[in-house]
Amino acid sequence: MFVLENVSYSYEENVALQGVTVTIERGESVCLLGPNGCGKSTFLRLLCGVIAPDGGTYAFDGWSVTRKSLADNKAAKAFHQRVGFVFQNSDTQLFCADVYEEVAFGPRQMGLGEDEVERRVTDCLRLLGLQDFARRSPYHLSGGEKRKTAIAAMLAMNPDALVLDEPMNGLDPKTERWLAGFLLELHSAGKTLITSTHDLELAQEISRRSILFDGNHTIAADLPTNLLMRDMSLLRRVNLVDRYYHQHRDGGHTHFHTHPLQRESPEISGDISDSEED
Amino acid sequence: MHIPENFLSPATCAVMAVAAVPVLAVAVKKVKDELPREKLPMLGIGAAFSFLMMMFNLPLPGGTTGHAVGGVLIAVLLGPYSACLSVSTALIIQALLFGDGGILSLGANIFNIAFVMPFAGYAVYKLIRDRVKSDKGEFVGAAIGSWFGLNAAALVTAIEFGIQPAIAHDAAGLALYCPYPLSASIPAMMLPHMLVAGVVEALFTVFIFAYIRKASPGDIYAGATKRTPALYILLAVLILAVPLGLLAAGTAWGEWGAEEIAGVVSNGSALGYVPAGMESGFSFETVMPDYTIAALPEVPGYILSALFGVAISVIVFRLIGGLAKNKQKA
Amino acid sequence: MPEWLLQSENYAPRADKDTFLSKSILALLGLISKIRAQDTAAAPTRYAVNPFFKLVFTLTLAVLVSLTREFAFLFAALTYVLLYLCVQPIRTLRRVLATGAAVTAFTFVILLPTALGGNGYSLTMMPVKVFTAVTAVNLLSHTSRWSELLSALKRFRAPDMLVFVLDITIRYIVMLGETTLESLYALKLRSVGRNTRKYNALSGVAGSLFLRSRQMAEDTHSAMLCRGFTGEYRVYQKFSFTLGDAGYILVNAGLILLYIYITRDANAGIG
Repeated sequence: MFVLENVSYSYEENVALQGVTVTIERGESVCLLGPNGCGKSTFLRLLCGVIAPDGGTYAFDGWSVTRKSLADNKAAKAFHQRVGFVFQNSDTQLFCADVYEEVAFGPRQMGLGEDEVERRVTDCLRLLGLQDFARRSPYHLSGGEKRKTAIAAMLAMNPDALVLDEPMNGLDPKTERWLAGFLLELHSAGKTLITSTHDLELAQEISRRSILFDGNHTIAADLPTNLLMRDMSLLRRVNLVDRYYHQHRDGGHTHFHTHPLQRESPEISGDISDSEED
Repeated sequence: MHIPENFLSPATCAVMAVAAVPVLAVAVKKVKDELPREKLPMLGIGAAFSFLMMMFNLPLPGGTTGHAVGGVLIAVLLGPYSACLSVSTALIIQALLFGDGGILSLGANIFNIAFVMPFAGYAVYKLIRDRVKSDKGEFVGAAIGSWFGLNAAALVTAIEFGIQPAIAHDAAGLALYCPYPLSASIPAMMLPHMLVAGVVEALFTVFIFAYIRKASPGDIYAGATKRTPALYILLAVLILAVPLGLLAAGTAWGEWGAEEIAGVVSNGSALGYVPAGMESGFSFETVMPDYTIAALPEVPGYILSALFGVAISVIVFRLIGGLAKNKQKA
Repeated sequence: MPEWLLQSENYAPRADKDTFLSKSILALLGLISKIRAQDTAAAPTRYAVNPFFKLVFTLTLAVLVSLTREFAFLFAALTYVLLYLCVQPIRTLRRVLATGAAVTAFTFVILLPTALGGNGYSLTMMPVKVFTAVTAVNLLSHTSRWSELLSALKRFRAPDMLVFVLDITIRYIVMLGETTLESLYALKLRSVGRNTRKYNALSGVAGSLFLRSRQMAEDTHSAMLCRGFTGEYRVYQKFSFTLGDAGYILVNAGLILLYIYITRDANAGIG
């Protein structure tokens, strides 16, 4: 579905992606991992056609995505309908007067009848538990509700692929759990799912496959998630985990966590004084 | 709407700058009274908002685009005095940092865009809002106010342009700065602003106003309790002036073309402006050589020409070199 | 899961005119990258010219260019500006030239009708004047950091409040500009068909921009209070004189002298 070959992208002089070659098939669920500023967001923007590659090639279902092809009104619109994108900052993504209008924006553009639009909006609001917010202004919603509104607005267009940039960012634990479950449901309903996260546990939960970005804007690993999780030295090298990060395997249950820094440990107090010097 | 450098004579620029100073001083004082000193960030925010507003390209019929100025909208949202300071700040940054609007004509631009526009527009908005008590009053007020504010500013700008040939010309009567008299500058400015730019401004203003009013009504400026008579005097003058502009535009010509004033092409001289230069047999071909050699002794003249040539060639070569490099990259 | 969500959408979009979106996006991108470039302009070196002198002489040049009726002086000023331009980094060169060319072309088009009337003076002098002045100002802004320009303004005895507001405005323009860009991208991605309410959508972007701005102003205010801001804002700076300053002043003083010489000469000629 998404075929990228040796893709590079830079903002003015700052390289954001370098020599990225990835293929993502229809129906897959892929997680992007990597430290801050490694190019995950740029990669997602590229997938969605917000930007076009500077070098290399990117084809979506055989349609080559370039600056020129994105300027082709009809073809670009068809592409944007098929790939839904939820930005990291939901605040900037919402621009309609109320939640209902927000969700109805896409379907109305697609020229669906007002009955069909209403059906879709109602369904989407129900799926995300936003029924009571239909006539509220998105501006006054909580962070979690805004994220849900952005997801509902994307779903209403019924895209084939869902691309979410750090969907769990700023959510409370309960909403986070709920959203993880919901994303899994969408995946089993046949949607291609591409998410970025720092959260290894989440990656394991929602994606069989993980792509790890390196600090130098290249791909460090593209592996089944469970294999990647075993490669602690690699995860440590790209700053995704600190050295206290570990996993427990008791009775088939695996979980990762880190331990709080303890003052009395001489090794750690050394670390603290180091960071103060910086 | 921004007056570029060299369209107004330095004398006009000086006068406009002097006029802008008391305007800003009063605005600063008012804002200090209305807005506690530590709320200063709001002015920066207003300025940034005003700046970004002008970045929005709005669709026009036929697939073209235009942009709004937003002076009246900001006055409605933050109050006219804050709007005056915010828009001034945006204009200063545009002139200093982006070369958008001249540095010498900054005073005139502040006067037109940061003073006349928000105050005239706000006065109309308030007049209508206070008379019509329903919600409609606010929307109609915002629409008419923003249309009026923009056109008032355009009219003042047109007058500044139009008086140039009369006040700045050489012995032969040849205009030294903007060469169009009032009879040409007013219709050229007013027609496109009344018919197109004003409508775009009004639409954008009302839609944004409606959005904010729905989302967060508390964020709209409630209005000062005291009335400012000076404001109404200005308003009265302008109400009288706008129909004059309409009258002047009576002969139907000028259009929203390539750029606002380009419409003058068909009528530059038909409107009674026959530059004195024509009578004395001044022709375009002879101007250039005349001026190059006129006042410079030969040797420095040669050196200067050589330096000019060097600069031009370096620029051309570097541009070509840059292009070749880009191609290699792609 | 509702039925429609399980099926693949069979959708063929209709074309729509949305150049306004791409244009707005390009305008914002250009704006942000301009400010970024300005922010990272070369750090002052030993030969750097003090921004205060640059500001003073750029203003002077703008006044002289505006005043002069002599093509000879204009030609000298233009040459000076072009020489200054040709040693700039290629990116600066391109940007400054593009802005200058655009404004000049605009001026030329506006003045074309005067040529029909025989006013050749306007048609030749004005575009050159405009180009020279605009390029001089753009060179000033491209070769100095914003913070340097502000401290130069400060030396002109500009009120602290003005300097402070100008300073935070630039930062807000970048921050708010970036979120606005994001909103416009979102609007573009979701514009998958024909939008009959373009003004609604754009106004939503602008309206939410305003509300976010307000929120940000309140946050800044609180943060400033927390850091002990009392409402006074002072600009601190050092003053030094470099070799670059000397050269710069020399060249500009030369231009001013040339102006006086040529003007006197021309007047004498007329008299």
